[in-house]
Amino acid sequence: MRRVMLLLLVLCLGLVIPPSGQAGESIKIGLAAAVSGGSAASGEAIKRGIQIAMDEVNAQGGVLGGRKLELVIRDDEGNPAKGVTIARELVEREKVVTIFGGLHTTVALAQVPVWHELSTPYMGAWAAGTEIARNGKSPNFVFRVSANDDYADKFLVRYATEVLKKSKPGLLLENTAWGQSNEVGLNKWLGQKSIKPVGIEKFNWNDPDMSPQLLRLKNAGADHIIMVANAPEGAQVVKSRAKIGWEVPMVAHWGISGGRFAELTGDLSDGVAFLQTYSFFGKQNERGQAVLKALKDKYGVKGPEEVIAPVGTANAYDGLHLVALAIAQAGSADGSKVRDALENLKAEYKGLIKTYKRPFTPDQHDALTDDDYIMVVWKGGKIVPVAMK
Amino acid sequence: MLVQLVVTGLALGSMYGLVALGYHITWVTSRTMNFSQGHAVMAGAVVAFAFYVGLGWPLWATVPATLVLLAIFGVALERVAVRPFFRAASAAWLLSTIACGIIAENVAMLLFGKDARAFPSALTQKPILVGGAGFYAQELLIPVVGLLLMGGVQLFYHRTAYGKQLKAVAYNPEAAGLMGIHIPRAVMFAYALSASLAGIAGILLAPILNVAATMGTIIGLKAFAVAIIGGLTSAPGIVVAGVGYGLVESFVAGYLSTGAREIVGFALVILVLVVRPWGLLGARPTRRV
Amino acid sequence: MVRLAWGLLAACAAALPLFTTNTYYLYVGASVGLLTIVTSGLNVLVGFTGQLSFGHAGFYAIGAYAAACLTTRAGWSPWAAMPVAIVVTALVGAGVAGAALRVTGPYLAMVTIAFGIIVEGILVEWVSLTNGPGGIFNIPKPTLRVSYWLIVAVAGFALVLVANLRRSGWGRAFLAVKGSDIAAESLGLSSYYVRIVAFSVSAAFAGGAGGLFAYLNGYISPDSFSLQTSILFVLALLFGGEGRVAGPVVGSLVLTLLPEVLTSLVDYRLILYGSLLMLSIYWLPVGVVGALAPRRGAEGDRDGERRRRGHGDPGAREHGRGGDGGQRRRKTEEVEGRSAEQALLTVEGASLAFGGVAALADVSLEIPTRGIRAVIGPNGAGKTTLLNALSGFYVPDGGAIRLDGTPVAGRPPYVIARRGVARTFQTAQVFGELSVLENVAVGITGAGLGSVVWALLGAPWTRRADWAARREARAALAEAGLTEWTDRPADVLPSGLRRRLEIVRALATRPRLLLLDEPAAGLSPSEIKELDAYLVRLREERGLAIVLVEHHMDLVMAVSDHVTVLDYGRVIAGGTPDAVRTNPAVIEAYLGATQ
Repeated sequence: MRRVMLLLLVLCLGLVIPPSGQAGESIKIGLAAAVSGGSAASGEAIKRGIQIAMDEVNAQGGVLGGRKLELVIRDDEGNPAKGVTIARELVEREKVVTIFGGLHTTVALAQVPVWHELSTPYMGAWAAGTEIARNGKSPNFVFRVSANDDYADKFLVRYATEVLKKSKPGLLLENTAWGQSNEVGLNKWLGQKSIKPVGIEKFNWNDPDMSPQLLRLKNAGADHIIMVANAPEGAQVVKSRAKIGWEVPMVAHWGISGGRFAELTGDLSDGVAFLQTYSFFGKQNERGQAVLKALKDKYGVKGPEEVIAPVGTANAYDGLHLVALAIAQAGSADGSKVRDALENLKAEYKGLIKTYKRPFTPDQHDALTDDDYIMVVWKGGKIVPVAMK
Repeated sequence: MLVQLVVTGLALGSMYGLVALGYHITWVTSRTMNFSQGHAVMAGAVVAFAFYVGLGWPLWATVPATLVLLAIFGVALERVAVRPFFRAASAAWLLSTIACGIIAENVAMLLFGKDARAFPSALTQKPILVGGAGFYAQELLIPVVGLLLMGGVQLFYHRTAYGKQLKAVAYNPEAAGLMGIHIPRAVMFAYALSASLAGIAGILLAPILNVAATMGTIIGLKAFAVAIIGGLTSAPGIVVAGVGYGLVESFVAGYLSTGAREIVGFALVILVLVVRPWGLLGARPTRRV
Repeated sequence: MVRLAWGLLAACAAALPLFTTNTYYLYVGASVGLLTIVTSGLNVLVGFTGQLSFGHAGFYAIGAYAAACLTTRAGWSPWAAMPVAIVVTALVGAGVAGAALRVTGPYLAMVTIAFGIIVEGILVEWVSLTNGPGGIFNIPKPTLRVSYWLIVAVAGFALVLVANLRRSGWGRAFLAVKGSDIAAESLGLSSYYVRIVAFSVSAAFAGGAGGLFAYLNGYISPDSFSLQTSILFVLALLFGGEGRVAGPVVGSLVLTLLPEVLTSLVDYRLILYGSLLMLSIYWLPVGVVGALAPRRGAEGDRDGERRRRGHGDPGAREHGRGGDGGQRRRKTEEVEGRSAEQALLTVEGASLAFGGVAALADVSLEIPTRGIRAVIGPNGAGKTTLLNALSGFYVPDGGAIRLDGTPVAGRPPYVIARRGVARTFQTAQVFGELSVLENVAVGITGAGLGSVVWALLGAPWTRRADWAARREARAALAEAGLTEWTDRPADVLPSGLRRRLEIVRALATRPRLLLLDEPAAGLSPSEIKELDAYLVRLREERGLAIVLVEHHMDLVMAVSDHVTVLDYGRVIAGGTPDAVRTNPAVIEAYLGATQ
């Protein structure tokens, strides 16, 4: 009996514990992402990007007259219902000004109504599902410094047709909402070039072997593969490709950068091309060097090969700076005002990925389009840019 | 393609069977099981990774060290999550082993990291090509080792004195106790053995599946299905069921689609149980009236 | 006191939106409500009927998707879509149960897991219906406040339904099957059918909650309906306390609030969650409610309470729409219609072997409609086996058993029971979780349970049938001298009284033939004399046929009209007590060869 009371007491205490940090002083920015489970590595990358940018902003005096920015993180466990709960918790209890999001398209989609109900801006740093930002709401509270599947698919198709000069694509997609979103996009952009995929094959997370799918695509006469996968599955695809001895060019969406793709595939990764918004390899601009240094100092990342899911970090980094500028422009921590400021950002921001001039407009909530993407390829465990001519 | 599918199916299936034997061993000794057996597979892979890649130990040291640690893990699990509830005749061990699984996965995530890592192996470097199909030597090694181990476990139970004692516990715990067999120790041994078998499966699968803190759940689930359709009380049934399930999965994924794989696989499980409610070779529990 | 607590809880729950506009609290409250609905239904399956299911996320999903599809694609109003979703889920539940409930324990768990995974897979693959992994959006949804109130109201309603069920004949039937399915079958209940009903009810609750979930969020996708969700349902129920009406509420509250409390400890959260679960499993093996309020009296006996407080007899009508009237009338006619000489039950050449050992070998006997026939023999002679064969629990390999001239060998025990054969068991099989009164009531109601839907709703005719059964049970207990134990849980009865309860319960089914398996075992000599008188009274007053398996020779010789002797599964003698007593073959069987 006493034990029951004790247990219940612990729980009640937890409920009345005030939210973290010194309230009132700092301005809180939330992060709702998968911190546990299969995509956790990419969630970690986003967190790092935000934190590094935040440290820079705070080092220069913070916002709104010296108030520091503070990051509050919650785990959505890849579950949409959980995503909605933490969304409300972050806004209602923690009183965050803006929330950065997450990895899963379904979670983001479930949260879209909540951002609008609670008038809190959302800055996506990864989930690329087209309808997240293009959600038909006005005013639209969802912003993104990330890939948009529609643009991404346009970009991939362009590469395959204009650079590789191939015309018989085999699509290999993961069997999730993200894969589904890309199936739509790829069919659309291929259709614009009057091309129909010779086959569309799917696979599930944690699948060990994709040889049957590849064999079917091979038998259907595919001359290149367009792949939408995360790192572990992408690695298995590449290994399966080697198993069946099929040397076919591969073009992939950015998912494979969300893990240790090169380590998992060994030298089989050579030649796999994929899209990124940014690469930490090669010559870095000033910001890139600063970020790499911060990654090393804070997180022990020794060099660009050790940066996991670099796009998460890059997107989130720029995203946070834009949000900070918006807060400054709005002159307040009110969600609606910050939203309006983001949509009409006056300041020019020389960011990591590019220079942002009026990144968002009422019709365009994706700061990056296919003009900003880059195509890179693995070579000897390093990522090397590839020309898009 | 057929050869490809058969090899993959045999490899995965024999591993399901090996892990499923773990369920069988603890069930027949104590009528309990580790509902998070899959996490033991993950632990095997993760611990082996820590020794082999992290510390750079050679394989011949890594494997035994991993197995010892896994056996300790099994014993600890039994002590903490099973024994307190075993006498009380409640199903609480079910929940406590699930809770242990949650803890294990998240501890692994903290210590091992959140992304999947590669487990290097000479046998997965170059594929062997036969006709239009290819497979890694590891995929051939797995069923061989798996079947040998399963055979070994069978021999142990049928031929050695201690093994026979353990079987006695299975048939009649009271009588076995009266004959001087130390029941708690027998149960402890069962859990240690069961965890070690799962650990071996983890080590064997690591080069093929990659090592990740989340790798265990689905394997544990399918191994459970295999244990059930083989018959929880029948080791040969489990071996057959394991290989069978692996092959079916492989063929369905290969000839139908990956999406259908789980649906068809688990629908077959239900079908088998409708036709043979206690598994293919399992014994119907006698109803005492 | 308990009512005060419930009232307070209901008031707080209802008033929450008036005190706060914090949508987080409202949403969490709604989540607690949804989980309460699901776990209440699961309670009927797990707590009342003792079957575990790890696939209820599948029913949750079917309810959610049915409601969502009907509203978004067919344009139905949510008020119309919800009932349809519930019915569809219940039907699927019945189907799954039909397949699953042939097995128990881990085998059943596996079938339910498989079902859950299949549903998840279908949600992803059947893109034209479900929109695949992307899910269905723009499901019309009311404001959060309205959703909250709606869900809380439905949750309260669900709890009321379950409480009604517990009080009714169906509730007793579930707990009977859980306590001892063998005894339940011997009283005419088909445990398979009862379990299917429990499963369907639990599926329906989950489906209803699923529909509400869809309308709460406006968006559903397959990732909300995974194995983890099913496990959460079970954890919440077992943590809160299965078998108790309040269990689901406590479990849902804690298991929804706990992750929220831990939510700021991002990296360690799940480790703490798992550890807290372990601690509570260890400290509270019967759940929170079980620890706070250990079972003292039976939960079901409200009118007994009322009577004790002097409120008089609720309702005075005899017949309920329980469907049991017909069964009883028929049996009385049959008893009166037959003459004492006609055989009620005949056994011809029955044989039964277990793994090569013959338990019964060519046994023939005739049991007339009245009289006490004893079956005796040394240990292992096959007496209990014979009883088991007569009551349908064992099927003979050869020979025939006829009741009223119709062959019954191979019919399931509950069929034979419904034809008027009742029995007791060597180890008394009382329904431990039911009160002594309720045990007898199970016998009275038998298979006449009526529709479970009326039982859930607490329909007036179900209540009347229930009261009638209780009244009759009370009278029977008074006659047997068990009045002081009426409302105690049956498992606190001392073993001598348990046997008596078993006999009272068996007699409550108004049998024509009563099989007693060693009723005198463990009784003191004076108690045996009482039993002796009781059996004779039964024979005289009720016109009953009794078959008595016994070792106590005094009892056997004193009450029997006829004695059959078995040895090694064969009938070696039969006749009056005196004849058998002096039969050399009998003496030899008991004492060994004589010179």
